[in-house]
Amino acid sequence: MPVDASIPQDLESLTAALEAAEARLQSILQTVPDAMIIIDEHGRVESLSATAERLFGYPKSEVIGRNVDMLMASPHHEQHDAYLKRYLATRERRIIGIGRVVTGRRKDGSTFPMHLTVGELQSDDRHYFTGFIRDLTDQQLTESRLRELQSEVTHMSRFMALGEMASTLAHEINQPLTAIANYLKGSRRLLERMTGEEARVLREAVGKAADQALRAGAIIRRLREFVARGESERRIESLPKLIEDASTLALIGAKENAVRVSFRLDPALDLVLADRIQIQQVLVNLIRNAIEIMSEGGQRRELDIATTSVGDDMVEVSVADTGDGIAPEVMARLFQPFVTTKRKGMGLGLSICRTIVEAHGGKIWVDSRQDGGTIFRFTLRAAEGGEQSLVE
Amino acid sequence: MSSSQIVHVIDDDIAVRQSLAFLLSTAGYAVRVHESAVAFLEALPGAQDGCVVTDIRMPGMDGLELQRQLRTLKVGLPVIVITGHGDIALAVQAMKAGAVDFIEKPFDDDVLLGAIGSALDRHVHDAERESRTAEVGRRAQSLSERERDVLAGLVAGKPNKIIAHELGISSRTVEVYRANVMTKMRADSLSELVRMAILLDSAL
Repeated sequence: MPVDASIPQDLESLTAALEAAEARLQSILQTVPDAMIIIDEHGRVESLSATAERLFGYPKSEVIGRNVDMLMASPHHEQHDAYLKRYLATRERRIIGIGRVVTGRRKDGSTFPMHLTVGELQSDDRHYFTGFIRDLTDQQLTESRLRELQSEVTHMSRFMALGEMASTLAHEINQPLTAIANYLKGSRRLLERMTGEEARVLREAVGKAADQALRAGAIIRRLREFVARGESERRIESLPKLIEDASTLALIGAKENAVRVSFRLDPALDLVLADRIQIQQVLVNLIRNAIEIMSEGGQRRELDIATTSVGDDMVEVSVADTGDGIAPEVMARLFQPFVTTKRKGMGLGLSICRTIVEAHGGKIWVDSRQDGGTIFRFTLRAAEGGEQSLVE
Repeated sequence: MSSSQIVHVIDDDIAVRQSLAFLLSTAGYAVRVHESAVAFLEALPGAQDGCVVTDIRMPGMDGLELQRQLRTLKVGLPVIVITGHGDIALAVQAMKAGAVDFIEKPFDDDVLLGAIGSALDRHVHDAERESRTAEVGRRAQSLSERERDVLAGLVAGKPNKIIAHELGISSRTVEVYRANVMTKMRADSLSELVRMAILLDSAL
């Protein structure tokens, strides 16, 4: 059999085989459930599956022959040609056979998360790359929802832990507090029968100490009631009086730290609906934190406490310091339990503040001041006008 | 006061017992301390007239059970209950079991001594109870109908949200009513409000 006679026949069968292969490929591309794109070594699209057309929103005709980077979002969009060149020069695999999550870009410009795996095909000296793409939009939504839920649960479980702790501690601490108050009140009674200047001074001091033991008891009682019932005992209270009392308590020792304190209280704002003890606790906490942060360094030590009216029936209270400020990454989580910037401290103070303020129907947040320092703000419901008429 | 009258203090916490004995003795009372309700009942045959100041949650026999025992034994000693757990349900139970007063720890000495004073002097006790009931009644008169509804819910231990739901108003409005009730009744705490309500209830 002549050798050359076989060539056309072979060519014919080769062509037929090629056509059959092409047809198989096309049928695969039409039916494969994953998005699939084949590119050459220059990044030009050779063919793509029907799913890929739908996923990216382009008809085949608008993609074939064009650079595949049109389907990518930054930074891969700009870098893809360089990736290809580097791979062909170094053969160092960064995605081929590994797979990773990248961002795709649809025809309408919108982007979406996708998982990309790349296979390599070499014939003669030409390279082809096949990309398999899975759309992760739904999966990521589910995951982010899961993460959100998880963080809520974490917050709740930490808060429950806090509540449990408050409840158990309450009884344990109330016992010694009762003993302290009893001994002090008894001593005060004995001192009442004694005469002289010293007895008078002692009597007063012992009486004040007893009052503080009772105050500690009141704080614990309210915290526990509040954690257990999520409610606090709100009354119509004078805001300036609240602030005055709380700052008196919190500013003990502030002079030694050379802190200058200024008050800017809106005279038009008076009555709020608040649990006096709890809101004082919030204020004392914020003021003490401010003083503490300023005593760590810095020349300017100025504390500014102000009130303003916001909206119809809310009042905003702010406590600003001139300290070194708070790192942004900490700031975002500052009101979560067990987050603290202090070396000593459990990170419960601000978490309790947040819980108290939110239970009062208000909000608490923190901002950085432009000239350095931090400003904490919280809102309370005003008790004038609206609230009164609500009742009458 | 009569020297034959003794204040019996029952608390499982030694520091609380001893500090109470100290406080009461500075106020001129004869005091006997007991570490448990059972120990007190054992000492009871020799016990003189007086009154009982007891913790409510104790290992073994608790304060409520002690009250029941005293009633069974027909011992007429007035009982003042003190507790570190300020819970409303417990306060209501203790008062219904016949306690003359319910006081949360830690307490102001004047509150406790006032309660003991009126418990020891039956005549004073009755007279005081009467005048106090009258005073609380006057305060209750000043409550509006809605405020009374909210008071009833609070005494039943219901949270604001439930009260709001039952009355068909917002819980925000309940809060305002609640604040008004506390102010008008001059109650410092929910448990004090409950005490007043029980006082009124038993007077009816």
